[in-house]
Amino acid sequence: MELAYYPGCSLHSTGQEFDLSVRAVFSRLGIGLTELEDWSCCGASSAHAIDPDLAVMLPARNLALAQRTGLDVLMPCAACYNRHVVASAHLAEDPALRARAEEMYGSLSGTSTQARPVLEVLCQDLPRGDLLEQVVRPLNGLPLVSYYGCLLLRPAAILQSEDPENPVLMDELLTDLGAEARRWSYASECCGGGLSLTRPPVVQRLVGRLVEAAREAGAEAIVTSCPLCQVNLEMRQSGQHLPIFYVTEVLAIALGVGAPAWWKKHLIDPAPLLRRYSLVG
Amino acid sequence: MDCAQPDESVPTKASPDESQAARAGQAVVGSALIVGGGIGGMQAALDLAEAGIKVYLAESSPAIGGTMAQLDKTFPTNDCAMCIMSPKLVDVGRHLNIEVLTNADLHSLEGDPGHFQASLIRRPRFVNLDRCTGCGECAAACPIDRPDAFNWGLSQRQAIFKLYPQAIPNAYAIEKAGMSPCREACPIHQRAQGYVALVHKGRYADAYRTILEENPFPSICGRICNHRCEEACSRGQVDAPVNIMALKRFVADWAWERRQAGETILPPRVESQPSGQRVAVVGSGPAGMTCAQDLVRQGHAVTVFEALSVPGGMMRVGIPSFRLGAEAVQREIDDILAQGVELRLNARVQDLEALFADGYSAVFLAVGAHRGVRLPIPGANLPQVHAATDFLRESRLELEDVTEPAWDPRLRGQRVMVLGGGNVAIDAAMTAVRLGAAWVGMACLEDRQQMPAHSWEIRDAEEEGIEVFPARTFHRILDRDGKVSGVACSQVVFRGFVDGRPDFDVLPGTEEEIEADWVIFAIGQHPESEWLTEALPLARGRYAQVDSETLATARPGVFAGGDMVSGTSFVVDAIAAGHRAGASIDRYLRGEAMPLAAALGSVARVELTEAQRRAGLRPMERQEGRRLPAEARRASEREFAAGLTEEQARAEAARCLECGVCSECLQCAYACKADAIDHGQTEERQMLEVGAVVLAPGLVPIDPTVRSEFGYGRYRNVVTSLEFERMLSASGPWGGEVTRPSDGKHPERVAWIQCVGSRETCGGQDYCSSICCMYATKEAIIAREHDAHIEPTIFYLDIRSHGKGFEEYIERAGSEQGVRYVRSMVSSVKENPATGDLRLAYATYGPEGRPQPREESFDMVVLSVGLRPSPAVRAMLDRLEIEVDPNGFPRGAAGTGRTSRPGVFVAGSLAEPKDIPETVVEAGCAAAMASEILAAARGTRTREIVFPDERDLSQEAPRVGVFVCHCGINIGGVVDVPDVVEAAAQLPDVVYAERNLYTCSQDTQEKIARVIQEQRLNRVVVASCTPRTHEPLFQDTLRQAGLNPGLFEMANIREQDSWVHRGHPELATRKAKQLVAMAVTKARGLEPIRRGSVPVEPAALVIGGGLAGMTAARSVAEQGFRVVLVERERQLGGHLRQAKPAARGIDPAQLLAEAVGAVTSHPRIECHLEASIEEIGGYVGQFRTRLRLADGAECEIEHGAIVVASGAQAVETCDYGYGSLPGVITQQALDGLLAGDALPEAEVESLRQGVVMIQCVGSRQPERPYCSRVCCTQALQNAVLLKAQDATIPVTVLYRDLRTYGFREAIYRQARSLGVRFLQYSEHAPPEIAQGEGSLQVRLRVQPENAAVELPAGRVVLSTGIDPNPDNGRLSRMLKVPLTREGFFLEAHAKLRPVDFAAEGIFVCGLAHSPRSIEESMEQARAAAVRVVGLLSKATLLSTPIVATVNPRLCSACGICVDVCPFGARQLNLERGCAEVIEVLCQGCGACISACPNKASQQRGFAFRELGQMVEEAIR
Repeated sequence: MELAYYPGCSLHSTGQEFDLSVRAVFSRLGIGLTELEDWSCCGASSAHAIDPDLAVMLPARNLALAQRTGLDVLMPCAACYNRHVVASAHLAEDPALRARAEEMYGSLSGTSTQARPVLEVLCQDLPRGDLLEQVVRPLNGLPLVSYYGCLLLRPAAILQSEDPENPVLMDELLTDLGAEARRWSYASECCGGGLSLTRPPVVQRLVGRLVEAAREAGAEAIVTSCPLCQVNLEMRQSGQHLPIFYVTEVLAIALGVGAPAWWKKHLIDPAPLLRRYSLVG
Repeated sequence: MDCAQPDESVPTKASPDESQAARAGQAVVGSALIVGGGIGGMQAALDLAEAGIKVYLAESSPAIGGTMAQLDKTFPTNDCAMCIMSPKLVDVGRHLNIEVLTNADLHSLEGDPGHFQASLIRRPRFVNLDRCTGCGECAAACPIDRPDAFNWGLSQRQAIFKLYPQAIPNAYAIEKAGMSPCREACPIHQRAQGYVALVHKGRYADAYRTILEENPFPSICGRICNHRCEEACSRGQVDAPVNIMALKRFVADWAWERRQAGETILPPRVESQPSGQRVAVVGSGPAGMTCAQDLVRQGHAVTVFEALSVPGGMMRVGIPSFRLGAEAVQREIDDILAQGVELRLNARVQDLEALFADGYSAVFLAVGAHRGVRLPIPGANLPQVHAATDFLRESRLELEDVTEPAWDPRLRGQRVMVLGGGNVAIDAAMTAVRLGAAWVGMACLEDRQQMPAHSWEIRDAEEEGIEVFPARTFHRILDRDGKVSGVACSQVVFRGFVDGRPDFDVLPGTEEEIEADWVIFAIGQHPESEWLTEALPLARGRYAQVDSETLATARPGVFAGGDMVSGTSFVVDAIAAGHRAGASIDRYLRGEAMPLAAALGSVARVELTEAQRRAGLRPMERQEGRRLPAEARRASEREFAAGLTEEQARAEAARCLECGVCSECLQCAYACKADAIDHGQTEERQMLEVGAVVLAPGLVPIDPTVRSEFGYGRYRNVVTSLEFERMLSASGPWGGEVTRPSDGKHPERVAWIQCVGSRETCGGQDYCSSICCMYATKEAIIAREHDAHIEPTIFYLDIRSHGKGFEEYIERAGSEQGVRYVRSMVSSVKENPATGDLRLAYATYGPEGRPQPREESFDMVVLSVGLRPSPAVRAMLDRLEIEVDPNGFPRGAAGTGRTSRPGVFVAGSLAEPKDIPETVVEAGCAAAMASEILAAARGTRTREIVFPDERDLSQEAPRVGVFVCHCGINIGGVVDVPDVVEAAAQLPDVVYAERNLYTCSQDTQEKIARVIQEQRLNRVVVASCTPRTHEPLFQDTLRQAGLNPGLFEMANIREQDSWVHRGHPELATRKAKQLVAMAVTKARGLEPIRRGSVPVEPAALVIGGGLAGMTAARSVAEQGFRVVLVERERQLGGHLRQAKPAARGIDPAQLLAEAVGAVTSHPRIECHLEASIEEIGGYVGQFRTRLRLADGAECEIEHGAIVVASGAQAVETCDYGYGSLPGVITQQALDGLLAGDALPEAEVESLRQGVVMIQCVGSRQPERPYCSRVCCTQALQNAVLLKAQDATIPVTVLYRDLRTYGFREAIYRQARSLGVRFLQYSEHAPPEIAQGEGSLQVRLRVQPENAAVELPAGRVVLSTGIDPNPDNGRLSRMLKVPLTREGFFLEAHAKLRPVDFAAEGIFVCGLAHSPRSIEESMEQARAAAVRVVGLLSKATLLSTPIVATVNPRLCSACGICVDVCPFGARQLNLERGCAEVIEVLCQGCGACISACPNKASQQRGFAFRELGQMVEEAIR
């Protein structure tokens, strides 16, 4: 399998460990990733709030680039993924908008290139048996909760998510990898990421509630698939020290790929937890 | 004006629904079809049947009762739903002119009103209704557990089930999805799912019996079958198929062990009558022996001729013992012989005709295919070359030490080559291994994938060291000195067989020689049939030619089957042939036509989706029997595969997915003593001729997962309101104990969330479901009654308690019964995974009106789900081409029940979501509309039972017959019934006593009638179950036999004895004897009961000429009866005369004109205006009413029934400055303004300053506590009209709760979208109005924020509500019927008798009953009309048999009985100086009997003397 790759700004900065673990895992699983040449920011954090036109045009440029590769494009960042899919929907239903975008960036039609999130590729495209064959280190019952946040699932109609209130993909993957996916009701609650800088007290309350709920569920770490959530959850929890993983990091441990080098990027060191569960040498 | 009768000869004016059929002169059919057996359908059925229309009541489930049967209590009276509905169920079930059709769907409808042809699909019940007595022994025997849908899956039931305990018909039904794929795949259609299910339950003997139904060789098929069942098994889609074959072996071996230990595990077989015919079966293989068994069971004498010295055919000499031990074959052959089959060994038959000459009437040839085939290649005839059949036969016989050792020494240490790639080749190769061969190989044309042997067989062979050479052709067998030295072969590409010949290419240069000392051909075999060439035509010179259906050969009386017809096949195929031959020969011998094979039913294929697999089906390991390791196998001829252990078998059986639901294991049929089970039933069409159709199929709950954020299905303690009803119900799965599903704890904090799926524009339904506010409150109250620790909280948007008595109910719930109401939309529910507790997030407002998010924890959450039409109902409406709205409800004319299709009416919640009384009213309305169409045919399709004349007993001494019931094992399993019969026979005057399996069954009724005549019985006692359900049945039997029904007495030895004293059979028997003795004592003194009767005057009096009165009058008249309509005013029309704008499809002005026109011109309606009622006398059927007419004259009319439609009036208020501030008007005044074409310009000016509507003016307050129901809709209609006239008019509605129930919600939504503002106020702080400069100023504190708001208003519009008619008091006294505290008329029962009074013959409708809308008034008027017609269409009315009587000598005329009688059936006769009973009104309740201080009153059938004697008998 071959995919184009759009890391977005986060994976080049605060979410480097996401980038590194995505590349390591996909390489082990035999999925080729080619980074889009000359990609640009999708405007996720602010464009949609201040300029509806820009909010579509920024992703449109990347979509045009992706069209030329003829490949689906992997977008690990939930915010980037969300913006690109929403922009595609706008472009599809507004011919004038689309004409303008094509005038600027070139053709948007001709292929069926799609933005793809990591979880969907791992859980739906790849036969589970093939993936599990590569597991060298089952996760020894590590108690985790799956956390999706808002942007991966909503708006459900546009993102075509089955039930944003009850996502199951990550739980199934983690269970199959040998972890213990704990029952909880907060998998798609908001972490307040969008207000992280402007309204810290609100965010602290939201993050605090999530971390508390994860503890209540008996989890020793939260697994996410969004760089904004990950940073926010690590940064805004107070005195709890609950590690926050990317799903690809957990998968990397199971597949025995990548070095613990990227863990130093974590604000909350997951190494002690992994040692307790004999998941690190 | 006199009171002359209208001219009867004037023809009826055609109503809009009157049929084309009628106009064309075609006779109208006097029957109606009602679809749906819920409370609405039942009411419509009863109304129509009482009105002389034959009714077919089609219900899609196995029993009537509908949703109401599932409810616990009902609001606002907190009556038990089942208790109040049960009598209706019985009435419907027993009604002579209602035919209940269960499992029935209306498929299509042809024709016109008055003359429809309805086509019904009757889905099979698999239980014969005429025979089933509802005893339940079948369910006790059924191994299939299913979620009980009646209990919303909270409990389990069996695949054979009764819908609920009180179900009518009182009979079981079987749930089937079709034949399971395993059964379908099997040539003999083994009931695999059946015995697998029984193994799962540990019922091995039952499993054995189920297997033996089709398979006389379970031990054999449990070992060596090619088990096509497993290939078809749905479990294979999840992980691996169920190991069905191993389960069969487990059962067969278990059974064999038990039988060897001397246990009897099968019931004795019923011997059949000898037919006197003899049949010869040639060959004792599986085909022959199966056929022999089948024939001997049919009573034929069967001789089996076997050429060999051992029976069993290929099972014995073709399959090596290490696969199938001789013992396993012998025991099953012995079983067949034990049934009377004669076996002759060493008896080779050579002459077919000789058999006939010996007296055999038929011959079955099943000699198998025992001759091996050799390839015609060089060396094929060398002495060391053998055919596999010979080799296996000889070696098998040798290993069993039956004959001389033949092979052993020569094979030891030799190299053996087997040519062939099938099962036989494998068997031959493995036999060679066991005979000591040094090396064994096998070679075949096919490559590995193509080899006919199963892959697991090849695996076994290779494990044992056998070398496989696939894709080879053999050129020759090499010899050295006349002895085999090897095989020369080449590699090939094999493409299969073309016309029986192999098609392959030899790969050049691949020739090789394989060294061997022995060669065994295993490439095919054929029958030895040379002896038949003269007698029969043979295919390819060898195979018997037969008819494929009957297996008959060309020679009459000769049949053939098995391998000799089909060529080499599997044991199970031979068994199938044996069965087929057995059936054909039996029919041949009986001289019956040869039937075609019965068609199989549909197959239940289970398609497992990814999601299903994820949801519930975790992989479970397939259990395999232990097998000897290859090394040990090589040295032993013993069976190398062991069976499953019991533990393994149970685990394996648990893997079954139960594809067919019912497993067709037949255990129910074995258990049923009444022989009621019929698994052969199929779907049928039923055509009905009907004149009209009423659709009342009800609604289903909206899927609660449309609000996924509430976690239904994920959080264990989130349940739906309907599930909660079952939890509350004493007859529900938890016996009424409210516990949490997650941990069984008693919940304390319970939250209800309203509007789940209702009033939603995304996901759910956009209308209001009307009933949820009330049922949630009821559930909260009842939950607290069950457990005082429960603290209920109801989260709601608007409380909609718009029905009669509802507002007070809610008020009391909040103020007295501890129900907490929180007005807030719950945004999410979260579960604490450790405790199962639930956190609800919602918004409240802080002190400054600032919104504050809140979280609150609850133990349990109940989702108040709304209602919608089911997909099945939507499909039906499509088929009937009835127009529906976007939500799937039929479009129709309000107030009439009409749909878009003339002659088809809708009633109940399918018309619009509604509660039970509204449903009952609407059912009556639909019945009235149908009855109007069918008026001409009234009584043409109904029937009456004519009983023989009653015997004169005056000269007879008592002769008592006692019939004691076993009720299957219900009574007989506890009480010693024969002992009770013996004791009964000793009682005085008892001349006859006997016992019956089911005394209620049809054949027993006939028997009782016969015995009554033969024994000249004149008193009958039945000791069985409850008189509530069964007494009328037995009384009818007495009447059939010419006895008065009063001469019957019942002793309840089931509910009051065997059921409650299960653990004490001896004491229960003693009690049964006592109960019987008491009944006999009473019976001896019984006298015939004569029922009083009154003739019916076929006319009705309608009081009130408003819309309700006019509608009722017109409907009664249309239905063919005379009506006298009395109106106090100068004009007809009542409130409808006030100008009102048209809205929601109703134009009041047009309605008025139409109604007045119809009433005044109708030949059967006599109208009196400006008339008053002076006196009402008489009683039902015989009322006499004195009227004062407009001219002051008086006249008296006679009539059989009365309709009270006296209306109500608008509340007069002086609140909010009404009357003093000129800008303050009423909603009625605004109606008047808006009814015109355009508003006056001046008015518009003032409206533009702002319109503020104030709701609940005078309603929902201490002095007038009820909700006036119509004001919210009226206000919103006007708000919308204002906005339509001029969008700039600012309209604000000040409300407490907005009550746009049902589809009225659309107006609320429309108003909001048009910019109408809605502000909520508190009853404690009503708005204040002041005159400002140029306009009014309205000040209020808006809730829930409590924010101060000031609004300018040109007009303040007051919604003032409805007051009862002040004349109601006088009228109620004249009618002797009660009023509510508020002054509306009080109906007989709030739920089920909404238009009746307790006093017979008087009915109520319209605003006299309670506040209601135009269409609701019309519906209620029609409902009253059809009740009137039900009464008037009878020539006479009979009193109930059990009535009170008065002994005038003891009566002191104190009048206490008159006061206590709730039915007005008592009066004082001052002339005679004693009280009297009006028998036709008396309901036999007994209140007067217990009230009478002088014992002057007695109850017929319950005289003091009789009861006293019973008590004495009891304490003797």
